[in-house]
Amino acid sequence: MGGSLGIIVDITLNSLVLSGVFLIVAIGLNIIYGLSRIMNMGHGALYAVGAYTGYTLVATGLNYFAALIIAPIIVGAVGLLIERTIIAPMRKRSMVYTLILTYGLMFFLDGMIKYVWGNKPCFIDLPAFLQGTISILGTQYPVFRLATLFIIAAIMGGLMLFLNKTRIGIILRASSTIPEMVSCLGINMNYVHMGAFVLGSVMAGVAGIIAGPLTTIDPLMGGEMLISSFVVIVIGGLGSLRGAVIAALLIGFVQTFAEFFITDLAMVIVYILMAIILAFMPRGILGEGKFE
Amino acid sequence: MEKRNKILNIEKIQTYYGVSHVIQGLSMYVEKHETVSILGRNGVGKTTTLRSIMGLTPSRSGSIYIDGVETTRFQPHKISKMGVAYVPAERHIFPGLSVEENLMLAARPGNGKDAWTLEKICDHFPILAERTKQDGATLSGGEQQMLAIGRALISNPKIIIMDEPSQGLSPLLVQMITDVVLKFCIQSGITMLIVEQNYRMALKVASRHYLMGTKGEIVKVASTRELMDNPEIIQSHLSV
Repeated sequence: MGGSLGIIVDITLNSLVLSGVFLIVAIGLNIIYGLSRIMNMGHGALYAVGAYTGYTLVATGLNYFAALIIAPIIVGAVGLLIERTIIAPMRKRSMVYTLILTYGLMFFLDGMIKYVWGNKPCFIDLPAFLQGTISILGTQYPVFRLATLFIIAAIMGGLMLFLNKTRIGIILRASSTIPEMVSCLGINMNYVHMGAFVLGSVMAGVAGIIAGPLTTIDPLMGGEMLISSFVVIVIGGLGSLRGAVIAALLIGFVQTFAEFFITDLAMVIVYILMAIILAFMPRGILGEGKFE
Repeated sequence: MEKRNKILNIEKIQTYYGVSHVIQGLSMYVEKHETVSILGRNGVGKTTTLRSIMGLTPSRSGSIYIDGVETTRFQPHKISKMGVAYVPAERHIFPGLSVEENLMLAARPGNGKDAWTLEKICDHFPILAERTKQDGATLSGGEQQMLAIGRALISNPKIIIMDEPSQGLSPLLVQMITDVVLKFCIQSGITMLIVEQNYRMALKVASRHYLMGTKGEIVKVASTRELMDNPEIIQSHLSV
């Protein structure tokens, strides 16, 4: 343990890691909301499925980085199944229908997790080169946590490239503004909604396997993350990707610093912060929130 | 036999907007290479007619044929693929997408040398060419209208249906859109259906005109010549 500088560096890096996980989960939730006006209450459970799937893949001998790619694909497939069975048939109904259905989905997935993996916490074994610590500015920081920051940055960079440079990305951005006009250009909005749900699910899965080695994997992790990602997208403005980035950083830092200094009140402080921000900025910190 | 030349053929459609019965038995057609207008007062259902053609507000009964294929119950993306390009009155340029992205989203290969491509759009609309990387939402009203028309052309459609191209534009811009853009489209053989309140503009571009009554039906069909020679027809149908 270093001096006070070391502690600050340590907490700051931890804040960034937490912000990054929040961001990936929240952006997944936001993509689905922004394109389809669906608030997926099962999103946290998909995050947990990502972590558990990653755990099983690594436990069966797969390389962690291979699992980092395969687990989100599996979660994406689960998302596709969910979208086809319970989301797509409700497309023309009010948001309340999917809200209730996905609330049920959350319990269903939580139950499946307990059925498959049990109630015991699980741990993902990391490859040797990611174990251990590295010395940064007077603190010994875990190599894996540092690597996580780069993985998160790479995922966000990849997502931005996808949204800005590919045809599908351009369709998704257009659909988040004037969906009716997108359909008038010959694009089947059913596929856009399906793609948005799958992409959102993949994001939840990625976050799950990234967070897996950082925390213990247990049946409660999904519910906790669902609430945190709600806080992030509400503060950032529903459907706003830029807002989510700022909100994820804000909540990641506030929560991590609060946990260090006043552990028991950390979450209370997060919710008070959210209440204050919403009172003055109901459309989020950038005023870009979309709700009807 | 007769239907073959009709790119668009509407037979007695009935369309509701919620509970209000907006279109009550409207019939009309547009032939290949023809520009036709629908004239009518505000709120008689001109926009709803276009929305029915596009599949956005499908009609409950009657039939719509695009190039001989019945499309009455088709979804909008299928109707677009049948070769119908829609230019809504609000233009609906996608904010956050560049001018080029707005165009490329709609682009579809056309036949032969005359096909519309990004290069051809830029050649004909130099204002857009200068702004390809700019956010479409930052364009002026006239530029957005030009982009909306360019977005329709680049899909190489069989017919363009255009809702009030003059809406929200200054008289000078209306003249510019009419003379530079629309007349050019017509000269290049595009088939067009234009909905207008501004009959002066419609008379300049279209050759045949459907006058719409207050019950969402066609009360008169007239050629441009006929309307110019008998201004009282427009007077009685369009002025308050």
